[in-house]
Amino acid sequence: MAEIILTLKHSLKVPLDASIISPDNFAGKSINEISSLKLWRGNKQITLGEVFDIKGEAGSNANETVITINGDLSKARRIGKGMSNGKIVINGSAGLYLGEDIRGGVITVNGDVGSWAGVGAKGGLIEIMGNAGDFLASSYRGARSGMEGGMIIVHGNAANEVGGWMKNGTIKIMGNAGIFVGANMQGGSILVSNDCGVRAGAGMRGGRIVILGYIPSILPSFRIEEIRASVKVNGDKISGPFYLFNGDFAEGGKGNLFINVTKNPHLKRYEQYIP
Amino acid sequence: MALLIKNGIVYDPLNNINGEVMDIMIDGNKIVSSINESKAQVIDASNKIVMAGGVDLHSHIVGPKVNSGRILRVEDHYKDLVAKTRFTRSGSGYSIPSTFVTGYRYAIMGYTTVCEPANPPLKMIAVHDELNDIPMIDKTSFILFGNNWIVMEYLKEGKIKECAAFIAWVLKRMKGYVIKIVDPGCEEEWKWGNDIEGLDKEVNNFGITPKEIIRGLCEVNKLLSLPHPIHVHTNMLGTPGNYRITIETMDCVKNIANNNQPLIHMTHVQFHSYGGSNWASLSSATDEIADYVNKNKHVTIDMGQIIFTDTTTMTADGSFEYKLQKLTGERWVNSDVEVEESAGIVPIHYRRNNYVHAVMWAIGLELALLVNDPWRVFMTTDHPNGGPFTYYPKVISWLMSKKARERVLKRIPRMSRRRTNLEDIDREYNFYEIAIITRAGIAKILGLKNKGHLAPGADADIAIYDFNPKQYDPSRDYKEVVRAFSKAAYTIKDGEIVVKDGEIIKPVIGKTFWVESEISRDLESSIASSLNEKFRDYYTVSVDNYVVPKDYLYKPWPIQVKAKI
Amino acid sequence: MVIYENVLCSVCGCLCDDIEVTVEENKIVKVRNACAMGTTKLLNYYKERNTKPLIKKDGKLIPTNLDEATSKVAEILVNAEYPLIYGWSLCSSEAIKVGIELAEEVGGVIDNQASVCHGPGIQALHNSGLPTCTLGEVKHRADLIIYWGCNPEDAHPRHLTRYTLSPKSKFIKDPKERKLVVIDVRNTITAKKANLFINIEQGADFELISALRAALKFEEIEEERVAGLAVEQIEEFAEMLRSCKFGVIFFGQGLTQSLGKSKNIEAAIALVKDLNDYTKFALIPIRGHYNVAGANEVTAWQTGFPFAVDFSKGYPWYNPGETTAVDILRRGESDAALIVGSDPLAHFPKEAADHLAKNPLAVIDPDISVTALAADVVIPSAFTGIEVSGTAYRMDRVGLLMKKVVDPPEGVLSDEEILRIILKKVRILKGVA
Repeated sequence: MAEIILTLKHSLKVPLDASIISPDNFAGKSINEISSLKLWRGNKQITLGEVFDIKGEAGSNANETVITINGDLSKARRIGKGMSNGKIVINGSAGLYLGEDIRGGVITVNGDVGSWAGVGAKGGLIEIMGNAGDFLASSYRGARSGMEGGMIIVHGNAANEVGGWMKNGTIKIMGNAGIFVGANMQGGSILVSNDCGVRAGAGMRGGRIVILGYIPSILPSFRIEEIRASVKVNGDKISGPFYLFNGDFAEGGKGNLFINVTKNPHLKRYEQYIP
Repeated sequence: MALLIKNGIVYDPLNNINGEVMDIMIDGNKIVSSINESKAQVIDASNKIVMAGGVDLHSHIVGPKVNSGRILRVEDHYKDLVAKTRFTRSGSGYSIPSTFVTGYRYAIMGYTTVCEPANPPLKMIAVHDELNDIPMIDKTSFILFGNNWIVMEYLKEGKIKECAAFIAWVLKRMKGYVIKIVDPGCEEEWKWGNDIEGLDKEVNNFGITPKEIIRGLCEVNKLLSLPHPIHVHTNMLGTPGNYRITIETMDCVKNIANNNQPLIHMTHVQFHSYGGSNWASLSSATDEIADYVNKNKHVTIDMGQIIFTDTTTMTADGSFEYKLQKLTGERWVNSDVEVEESAGIVPIHYRRNNYVHAVMWAIGLELALLVNDPWRVFMTTDHPNGGPFTYYPKVISWLMSKKARERVLKRIPRMSRRRTNLEDIDREYNFYEIAIITRAGIAKILGLKNKGHLAPGADADIAIYDFNPKQYDPSRDYKEVVRAFSKAAYTIKDGEIVVKDGEIIKPVIGKTFWVESEISRDLESSIASSLNEKFRDYYTVSVDNYVVPKDYLYKPWPIQVKAKI
Repeated sequence: MVIYENVLCSVCGCLCDDIEVTVEENKIVKVRNACAMGTTKLLNYYKERNTKPLIKKDGKLIPTNLDEATSKVAEILVNAEYPLIYGWSLCSSEAIKVGIELAEEVGGVIDNQASVCHGPGIQALHNSGLPTCTLGEVKHRADLIIYWGCNPEDAHPRHLTRYTLSPKSKFIKDPKERKLVVIDVRNTITAKKANLFINIEQGADFELISALRAALKFEEIEEERVAGLAVEQIEEFAEMLRSCKFGVIFFGQGLTQSLGKSKNIEAAIALVKDLNDYTKFALIPIRGHYNVAGANEVTAWQTGFPFAVDFSKGYPWYNPGETTAVDILRRGESDAALIVGSDPLAHFPKEAADHLAKNPLAVIDPDISVTALAADVVIPSAFTGIEVSGTAYRMDRVGLLMKKVVDPPEGVLSDEEILRIILKKVRILKGVA
């Protein structure tokens, strides 16, 4: 494995489109070639070398290339766009659209990420040690098509609309999640290890959402089916017991919502409706 | 400035010129018979095809419905973003391009005139506001009358002259060119969520049938001497078995015709030529339609060809769009306009391996190939309903090459092949015929005397395509046809070179034209004064504010005709 | 003395076009037909007004001339790497067109007030579509009129009389045939007029819509109460929706800005779609400023996107949350701003306002706003619809031409004219003139 290290020279004042930063784009290039790659900072086209100190070397293929980025990149967008292989490690926070359209490889962020991380993901692994913004692995506006594959792990909290329109793959939130987890979900799995906001699964047509912590309420267009002892997420067995709700009946009701029984005593009244 | 186009291979059907090598001379914004060659800029057009600028009869490019489509389909824009250049504005494209991009893309294909075919008069400020922002091309708007209360009331009362005077008033005041009829009567019903079937059922509250509306407006069109026939999107669009109502529509005005003059244009007939009784039994009924058109000279049609791509349907036929979204589960916009019309929008992805879509694809081409007289069938995709207008070069290649058609036919469902006739049709269009169905014939049916041809006196709107018929055979080398027609070598608009080698080199503003049919003063003033009260009762705007002033248009271009009333 | 008839009112999205204005010696002395808001504006708009361009020198705004002021604006914009151009809902469409061209030329972001009011309704349209109609359709057909999270009797005072509850109708002979329903967290003055007031729990609109959609599909709701309402009441209301002949929901910021935002509107659209399987139903946003709808229309046809358009890479890009003014400012990403006919420092969240004030700031506005007081340069403009004519779009997107009834003060130009001067100067600075 060859490693290339980018260190931010000056703090960013305006947005930086960093979609050029990916193992696929760096592989097989010399430091000079990488330094002279063009990117947009606000409305100015500049080179990568103007923004970053660049050291190390790239591998001959994406799968042999590790990119380490140091600095506060919360204004840098689209890092790792479309990457198919290799690895990106960010020591700091990253901005919007981290790992957009990722197909393979690994992105690790030792910090927080902005909204739309993992949008359009089709494979690979994104691991965020801090918090994630809104629309994690969700859909573009109007596209009604979310994450299609791969795995996203957030060790902190995720904001609203995690996994909107998701079709496949796995999202794990180790902390809390905001409102509308798995809104309009069509397939795949979302695990929220801690508490979760209201309206989980709104408009869902398929897939499963597992909530281990507290959820204030279940939408009225969901129906309780049964109590399950355990549930599987991406092959891992998680012990419950869980209330299993089906919904969203406003959209056909083919989705499954698993809610931890012990953390949600206020939902006990639903048990009378279990068929 | 003078311009000399030298040695082009000229196809100018209105002047019976079929591939002759000749020079075209331009002075100012007109084609002329002689110029001072020493002072002229010379374009070497040898081994290139020269035609009049393309004319599009039916393309939804502006209006509140189109703009709703743009807002609906942001994801469609994301895949086709267009940056600003030295000469051009930025924008976005694909199925519903932004206004600037629309103008540029037409000009790049050698088109110089485009008709927006469906606007409710109440929203004409929006229409002209947008048309002002479409550069490069001349343009016009067709105004919807087929569900207008005031029209239906006049016709019900037998007041045909008053109805004509009202329509003349609207066309002049709101700046429109054609009487457009969409799903006559039925859209008024749809505004209650209802449907009526057939042409002979009365519209609730109005006591008039779709057939009476079509016939009435056909009479009005004659009385006003309008340049273009009534432009009809008839009832039951997109419904299996609808070919009967299509023939019935054409036939219902037959006895109003005289001298074999066209007096009804049936639009996007592909969507109206379906046999069978449900989607599973859908078949092509183009034999029946083409047979009727071939035998009856009072009718013209356009294709409404579909393209296998992701596009957006949008029509004043709101009830159809309601049914379509029920069928596909797609997003749905409906927009009903008081007193006048409805409209709907639903995205659609036509797929080659979908049986229904493949039948639709074949039907469009069959229509163009089975109607014998190219002066009475025109090329359209009903943009963006059948597909974006940017696919015209592809449609041209299918018409010119059986081989090109076979390439697609091989890859559509067997059942689609069985239920259509396309496999058995050998006809291939030549360039002369292509020039007719893409410009000459359309200019003629629009009554635009200075468009669609290259004789002295014509507007200097010209397309030059890099295709050498001596080198290539369009039947065999259909890919060359697509290449040549996608990017004009030159487009000349009003005597200026605006496109060179498929790139915009000069942005220009085209004219917006409309029709002013002069009626008797007495009739005009009696109608105008009777409208105050009607507007107060019917509309939410005053009659004073129901107007598009002439100077609102960037380049206003009235076309005057004399009415018979 | 001149009397102008059928003048358009340049206050709210109703865009009433029947105002009668009497002018004496270039002064409006009498206004008929307008509501209190319209009358007040037409009679008092010119009071406490600044008519001189101002420029900040040594920390103070001092009078300057138009040439220096426009040069300063051009300089601010050209020197920025990510300028924000914001406002537009109180401008003519003609001015907005120049604004878009300016944003494109300087590679900035242009956004309008929809971004902080009805933007969620537009975002919902991307995902769901919109069954809607013009106000005249409501006038003639609606026997069920619902105001959801809006209070037109206060904010759009003629809405009920002109368009919904009591206008003359072709089909509804007796106004009593119309039922008025108000859904709100407060018992507003509109709610007091309603046949049915649904007093919903704060932030529970989405839950109510979900319950209504389930009830419409005859699904059992496994709850006693939803959104603070008994399930029986929701089921009765669902039946009321289903059984009308023509229903319409007008929605305001109570729905677009409450918990869930665009998801609330997506749900409302889905509800209206469902209802169209039983009857005819429409949904209309009740827009605030008189031309905020126009700002969306013009931006959409020129760029393909309705607001929040980022031209920094030469082509338009749009994504609310990314390219919206408040979000850009919150993340601290803009480095200059031009504000046209808006007062964000008074209305934006503090951290967004702070970032705006921190960077070079230019304002074009007929009034001296809070934002203007903090600006580096301020250019006064004429009042559109009073002193200059122009196009505006009503809440149902009907375009209308606003009339000019008096002359602007000497030297005060329209927004459009000022922006054209700035655009020209920008091009000179960039060397592309």
